Amino acid sequence: MAEKLEPVKVLYCGVCSLPAEYCEFGPDFARCKPWLVENAPDLYPDLLKEANEKAADNVSDKLQSVGISSGGADGAPSSAQTAGTSKKEEVKRLPGGKVKKKDRQEVIIEKVVRNKRKCITIVKGLELFGIKLSDASKKLGKKFATGASVVKGPTEKEQIDVQGDIIYDIVEFITDTWPDVPERSIFFIEDGKKVQAG
Amino acid sequence: MFKKFCLEEISSQNQVKASVQRRIRQSIQDEYPGLESVMEDLLPKKIPLIVVKCPNHLTLVVVNNVPLFFCIRDGPYMPTLRLLHQYPNIMKRFQVDRGAIKFVLSGANIMCPGLTSPGGVLDEEVDVERPVAIYAEGKQHALAIGFTKMSAKDIKSINKGIGVDNMHYLNDGLWKMERLD
Repeated sequence: MAEKLEPVKVLYCGVCSLPAEYCEFGPDFARCKPWLVENAPDLYPDLLKEANEKAADNVSDKLQSVGISSGGADGAPSSAQTAGTSKKEEVKRLPGGKVKKKDRQEVIIEKVVRNKRKCITIVKGLELFGIKLSDASKKLGKKFATGASVVKGPTEKEQIDVQGDIIYDIVEFITDTWPDVPERSIFFIEDGKKVQAG
Repeated sequence: MFKKFCLEEISSQNQVKASVQRRIRQSIQDEYPGLESVMEDLLPKKIPLIVVKCPNHLTLVVVNNVPLFFCIRDGPYMPTLRLLHQYPNIMKRFQVDRGAIKFVLSGANIMCPGLTSPGGVLDEEVDVERPVAIYAEGKQHALAIGFTKMSAKDIKSINKGIGVDNMHYLNDGLWKMERLD
């Protein structure tokens, strides 16, 4: 009575592995687009149009720049494009598609008095530069021959507490050990975030 | 449900004996009469059926290293999305409106308003505690597999709270694991 059910063949996107129509909700629609234009043009007809327009723009740009000057101008627009897309990839999306408010990458250094003589230096924000806090605290402790530890702050953020007052030396140390951290993104706190850069 | 799911999450993997295999086959057949004709291909009697146990009382039914069904505790067996895409008519369908798609795709449960708004479709016959396929407005393929928390009639009348629990959705841990090896 029931004939054999035939399995439906589904076209899964080669990039995000979702069924092709869901690529716009996938992790990286921009990467899926070229794949989609080739393999599933009927699903996203406006993509085809977009791709054609882009190609036309690129060609006209190239022609223009070749007319005005040589190689130099050609390199600049294409590199700007790739830089733009890679920045987008890093943008983290919360469920709901909202973009997580990007905390500016900065290192905040604060001095807190512990006893009347003693104080601690709190370093916050190193993890935003991709630095492992446990390694960082070890290095700091070794360098300044004091205790350093990773402490959980009132928010989820973690910070490094270093015993003693080392705020001035620490700037140099950070920029030397981790060249990714530019001096201008280190801030001291002097009674309300005085943007005393580095 | 399957937000985080990788090979390390498997606590045990056993080949089941024939009697258990028959029982599993029978319950799947009762649950999804539409699959009867292809049952032989999907769960052949001769091929060993492997049952994979995972934390949170989760069991996977695996054939030839491909997970086909899963169940929580002793609940009904539910097909994986990949299987459902191949045989879309075996389960009842609910449809959510477009705005809900991105939430469902991050594992959110399906709230009643998503099903009762224009763009949402409810199948009146569906009861509580039943597995359903969730489709999206304007899309041809299933978006997720859910377990109803309220019957379709209640969803329509009460229109508040969680209507369907999101068990398995596109691009979750189980979807990413096409084969277990």
